[in-house]
Amino acid sequence: MSKARGAPRRVLAVWCPDWSPDVPDAGPEARAFEQVVAAVAEFCPRVEVVRPGICAIGAGGPARYFGGEEALARKITDAVAALGIVCRAGVADGLFAAQLAARAPPRDPAGASAGTGTPGVIVTPGVIVTPGATPAFLAPYPVSVLGVPVLADLLPRLGIRTLGDFARLPVADAANRFGVPGARAHRLARGLDPRPLTPRQPSADLSVHIDFDPPAGQAEPVVFAAKALAGRMQAGLAARGLACVRVQVQATCADGRDITRLWRHDGLLSALAVAERVRWQLDSWRASQDAGRSDPERSGPGMRDPGEASPAGGIIRLRLVPDQLVRDEGRQLGLWGDAVISDRVARAATRVQAMLGHEAVMRPVLAGGRDPAEQVTLVPFGDSRAPLLPAGRPWPGRIPAPAPATVYPVPLAARVTDDAGDAVTVTGRAEASAPPARLSAGGGPWLTVTAWAGPWPVSERWWAAASARRRARFQLVTGDGNAWLAAVQDGRWLIEASYDLTVDATASC
Amino acid sequence: MPPGGRIPAASGMRPGGCVIPGVGLPSGDAALCGTDVLPVLPALRELLPGGLQRGSVVAAGDCSLLCLVLAAGASIAGGWCAIAGLPDLGVVAAADAGLDPGRLLLIADPGEGWPQVVASLLDGCELVLLRPPARPSAQVRRRLEAVARRHGGVLVVAGDWDGAQCRLIVARQEWTGIGSGHGRLRARLVQVVADGRGAAARPRARWLWLPGPDGAVAVVATGIGGLGIGGLAGRDGETGGVASPWRGMSAG
Repeated sequence: MSKARGAPRRVLAVWCPDWSPDVPDAGPEARAFEQVVAAVAEFCPRVEVVRPGICAIGAGGPARYFGGEEALARKITDAVAALGIVCRAGVADGLFAAQLAARAPPRDPAGASAGTGTPGVIVTPGVIVTPGATPAFLAPYPVSVLGVPVLADLLPRLGIRTLGDFARLPVADAANRFGVPGARAHRLARGLDPRPLTPRQPSADLSVHIDFDPPAGQAEPVVFAAKALAGRMQAGLAARGLACVRVQVQATCADGRDITRLWRHDGLLSALAVAERVRWQLDSWRASQDAGRSDPERSGPGMRDPGEASPAGGIIRLRLVPDQLVRDEGRQLGLWGDAVISDRVARAATRVQAMLGHEAVMRPVLAGGRDPAEQVTLVPFGDSRAPLLPAGRPWPGRIPAPAPATVYPVPLAARVTDDAGDAVTVTGRAEASAPPARLSAGGGPWLTVTAWAGPWPVSERWWAAASARRRARFQLVTGDGNAWLAAVQDGRWLIEASYDLTVDATASC
Repeated sequence: MPPGGRIPAASGMRPGGCVIPGVGLPSGDAALCGTDVLPVLPALRELLPGGLQRGSVVAAGDCSLLCLVLAAGASIAGGWCAIAGLPDLGVVAAADAGLDPGRLLLIADPGEGWPQVVASLLDGCELVLLRPPARPSAQVRRRLEAVARRHGGVLVVAGDWDGAQCRLIVARQEWTGIGSGHGRLRARLVQVVADGRGAAARPRARWLWLPGPDGAVAVVATGIGGLGIGGLAGRDGETGGVASPWRGMSAG
């Protein structure tokens, strides 16, 4: 069977209705699907599992061997049915159409309506769409089958309700208007493959390494080699059209220890920049080694041997492992909105990360929430993350401005008493037992309360037992001029924040 | 109020250096390039005539909000700020003071090698706010001062720093808006005293709203006597019921 170059290959999809689409990829149900995959693999070893419930094989070769696509589909459904599992098989051009063909409504097996359907469609236990008939087969489907929520919403409002309508749009217009996902969906609607079928096979090892013999005692040769190594890694990725989100730098010492750190890459780092990160990693590791060794040695009379450059006997192997591979689709900076981080700032932040670790340098993102501690989400420099609680919502009951300048991630335990020295309590009706007169925060000295307000009760997330919380909040001003945000929870006083804490007070806390 | 306080805004300023940009001004490194002072908020102009000299060290005492307000001017003008050694910092308060959270780096614990961390940060950021984990030795101090001079960054120290070019302390403070069981915290009057070396040698004291009733930092116009804290508190007492943050049991 000759095939025009670039035409989508014939794909046979097997669909088992017993697996619902929302089964997670890992779990007992997903593992149970393995027996179906094994049965299909008897006919063709390269099976791609689309998700638990649907798998696919390239139909060209097996169909020739088993006497045609219809015979192949029948043999596969019989084999799976022998396992006691209901399944249907569909053959079409491309994976997307084959999945729809497998799930197409069954026609009358007697063939009464077989001739009346779309021309070129043969009815079997499943549906077989003859080569070239795929666009016609797809045309009546609604655009929602594309599985792109944005398009499913937008296209009908533009009057494009079926895949046929969508496929009639000029390719360039579809790509211009709907971007990369739109262009991909347009290919699907035209009966083309958005990507070739990827059979399950061991993924190629894209990591690169270099050995040092004799071990490299100084950082310089390692960094120099890292530059060439990074170039090789990037060439290997580019040849496969991939980019990595992170790169793992792994340096092995002669004594067997590994110095491993993950660096954000995003397909943006040049070979030189990767080499620079290798240098920071080695520098910070060496600094930590020196700090660990210096104390016992400084006390002794003998200083460290200056000739011994590397504490662990030198580096014998440097390995770069691309992590989280993604298809390289290029990168476009936003015209507006994205805070552009200058190279200078990025370099300083990354250096500090090299010294203290990735999580040591944070960028704050303002979030929603009622507590001062909730209203900020900290994101490690170089990552992007949405705030935990959405900002810009009303959050009734949130602490009013001014915001406290010191917020304790873990509230301090406190004691609050009235004039008589008894602990102040809050009743179920949110009334204080007595005016607070004295405060001791975090075991600190007793301070006179000069002004106070509250209690303001808050009952949050009562529907979730794990995170439910009832608090009564107070604002207290103490004689030293400081103001505190205090709360009573389960009968205990907590200091959640301080409006402006002096450094001395934290030291005493 | 010392007589030196009424320094006309233009004197002692370098051209271009002390333009106090409003929030709407275009931000970016370009706004700060080529100047040898970092701008400060208008309310601090009388305390720090000319702004923050690049390469200098400013000790801002124990008041963390004062430190944030000092850093706000540079952040509004488009500079990057790093805050090291303040793990409990209230970022919302920082944002209210004028610091842009998008141009803020937080290093909660700079660790044992904090001088090296601060030196790296001074290389990248216009302003570094630091609470030293330990009292720095004279050698460390001199080294960081040299790094600040070399990179043109400003080091604001929460605490004391021997040899700081400028020193600000909160001498007195009083919260307003809160009574005995009524009202809520609304504003704070603080008396800030600034002194330093060289041109800044003469101590200057100013009463500031830190923060003011509208959340902004402002100079108190007529001093504390004319304002009457009691009157303010009384007003808040009346509106306290309406403006109470508690508006019914929240569910969610």
